[in-house]
Amino acid sequence: MEKNHYKSMRKNILASMVLVPVIPLLIILAVGYYYFTTSIESSTIASMQRIVGDHCQMIETFLNERKADLRLVCDSSSYHTLKDPERLQEVFVNLQKGSNAFVDLGVFNGDGIHVAYYGPYQLTGRIYGEMEWFKEVIKKGYYISDIFLGYRNIPHFIIAMAKVEDGETWVIRATIDTFMFNDLVKKFRIGKTGESYILNRDGIFQTERRSGGSLMSEDPDHLKYPSHHSGIRTFLANAEDGEKYLYATIWLKEGDWILVVRQQKEDAFKALRSASYLIVLIMVIAGVLIVGLAFYRTDRIIRQMEQMEADRENLSGQLIRATRLAELGEMAAGFAHEINNPLQIINNEQALMMDIWAELKEKGDLKGSELMTDFEDSLNEIHIQIARCTKITQAILKFGRQGEPVVKDIDLQRLLPEVVAMIDQKASVHGIQINQEILSDTPFIRGDSGQLQQVFINLFNNAIDAITTRHGVSGGHIDIQAGPTEDGKAEVSVTDNGIGISPENLKKIFSPFFTTKPVGKGTGLGLSICYGIIHDMGGTMEVRSEQGVSTTFTIRFPVAG
Amino acid sequence: METMKMMLVDDEERFLITTEKLLSRKGYDIVTAGSGREALEKMRSQNVHVVILDVKMPGMDGIETLRAIKNEFPLVEVIMLTGHGTVESAVDGLKAGATDYLMKPTDVSDLIQKAEEAFEKRLRLEEKIRMAQSRRYMKSPREILREEV
Repeated sequence: MEKNHYKSMRKNILASMVLVPVIPLLIILAVGYYYFTTSIESSTIASMQRIVGDHCQMIETFLNERKADLRLVCDSSSYHTLKDPERLQEVFVNLQKGSNAFVDLGVFNGDGIHVAYYGPYQLTGRIYGEMEWFKEVIKKGYYISDIFLGYRNIPHFIIAMAKVEDGETWVIRATIDTFMFNDLVKKFRIGKTGESYILNRDGIFQTERRSGGSLMSEDPDHLKYPSHHSGIRTFLANAEDGEKYLYATIWLKEGDWILVVRQQKEDAFKALRSASYLIVLIMVIAGVLIVGLAFYRTDRIIRQMEQMEADRENLSGQLIRATRLAELGEMAAGFAHEINNPLQIINNEQALMMDIWAELKEKGDLKGSELMTDFEDSLNEIHIQIARCTKITQAILKFGRQGEPVVKDIDLQRLLPEVVAMIDQKASVHGIQINQEILSDTPFIRGDSGQLQQVFINLFNNAIDAITTRHGVSGGHIDIQAGPTEDGKAEVSVTDNGIGISPENLKKIFSPFFTTKPVGKGTGLGLSICYGIIHDMGGTMEVRSEQGVSTTFTIRFPVAG
Repeated sequence: METMKMMLVDDEERFLITTEKLLSRKGYDIVTAGSGREALEKMRSQNVHVVILDVKMPGMDGIETLRAIKNEFPLVEVIMLTGHGTVESAVDGLKAGATDYLMKPTDVSDLIQKAEEAFEKRLRLEEKIRMAQSRRYMKSPREILREEV
């Protein structure tokens, strides 16, 4: 078949071998990637939400506890007792036992005058009546401030509580340690960039932010956070520092403060990126494997197909040749048989003519002349030509129907020397040396020994003819080799250094009636008979030749057994 | 001494005519037949010693004719004439009782030689039969007398 055909077939096989595994692989990877990323995203967000929820709870609890501490003080003590600095100190020490977040404690009358104070500063006597926080506490009964600087010029926040006693309002106020509160919020950590902080409504930091943002400064991103809402919100946003963050927010302290937990997107979804790397890696490795395997398999398949094709062509070629030879043989045999009858008649007619001629001569009826000699010569020639025809027809009949051969196990180690002995005399007359190299492990074969002798004598005679044509009576040699082949057959090769055979003649060498010998010297049947015999034995016969150098006939036999 | 009477059996008429002429010229007594049936008929009326029989004939072929001849005239010597170049067809004839075989085309000299050999064989056989019979004479002349009566 043409090479092109294989090329397109190769392309098709290769395409299907690559596509069939690659398509499901890609689908699996895509589906896997989709579910994996969704699950990672949702679990990351869920954990963010949980963290912000827990944090909010903790902060609210802290503030409520401090508020409750103060309420207890209000409820259990009267204005008069607390006005006394010693009593106030006693109360403060008790408070500090409950929580060391308290920094100081002060008592104010209805006009905002600081009547009693216990703490590190000298604030007694100061007037707070006009302060925002004081107005608020009078109005609402309690107040928790944002962080502010105040008189002391240090960031802090306060919890204040008002109480009406005997128609007179008084206020108790405690300062909360901002550092401690700061730590409480700041201590949260997640991944590399996770952080949490609190802002007030105006976007002022109430606690420090680890990635930058000091107390009381304004968060440049605060407009991005959702305005007051209930519950937890999560969202992605680009911060002013150029990074993209995953945010979770919750409002606390009745909507005064917003708790923000954020983590850089890269960091939060780190698992996603490693998953992507893994998927790309799998794709590359699997792709290389699939393509490599596809090429390998396709090459093998194509090679096998080519081999099969070649085998088939070879086989059908052999079959055609064998059939053609058999048909030719049968035809020739029938022809020869039919020719024999007329030949017999011609032969007898000629014999009668000779007989009559002899009688006429004896009687003296014929005058001796040159014509008589010619006539007699002609009669004799008829006899010679009949003999020639006879030789041909008999050779043909031998070639056509051999009859049943007597099949036996044959030892080539014995048969070959026997045959060589038959032609030894003829060979030595022509100065030909015969070299035999018959290996001792040459297997036995099955066949008719008579037929095999015929085959080898034929080959040897041809070799002798070829050698004498080239060398005359010296310098020729015939090499006979026999031994086992690798594929378990017996092989005999006969090599001569004769004239060789031309490539055109090589093609026709086994055809019946093909001969290069002069007219009347060969029937052209020898090698075709040999071929037929070997073929019937299940063997093969091949010839290689280089003109003017050598010719080798190689016969392979199936082994007996 | 008895002269040989030869019979030629072949479906080729010209072969019969020419061969008869040739052999007659050499002094043989020749009968010809164009088929197996004709051969058997002629043998019933004439004492033939040697038959030259073509293997391949239309109708009754050589082997069949050979069997019929051997059946009816066991002492007649038959030489098969085969058109096949191989021995196999001749072997069949030999197995069926033929004395010898000849391959077509054959020279008349070969034919005569084989026929003479066959005739000699026939003569020897007849001689043996005579000897056997004469031994019987010697053994019991009375029995022979009785037989003849």
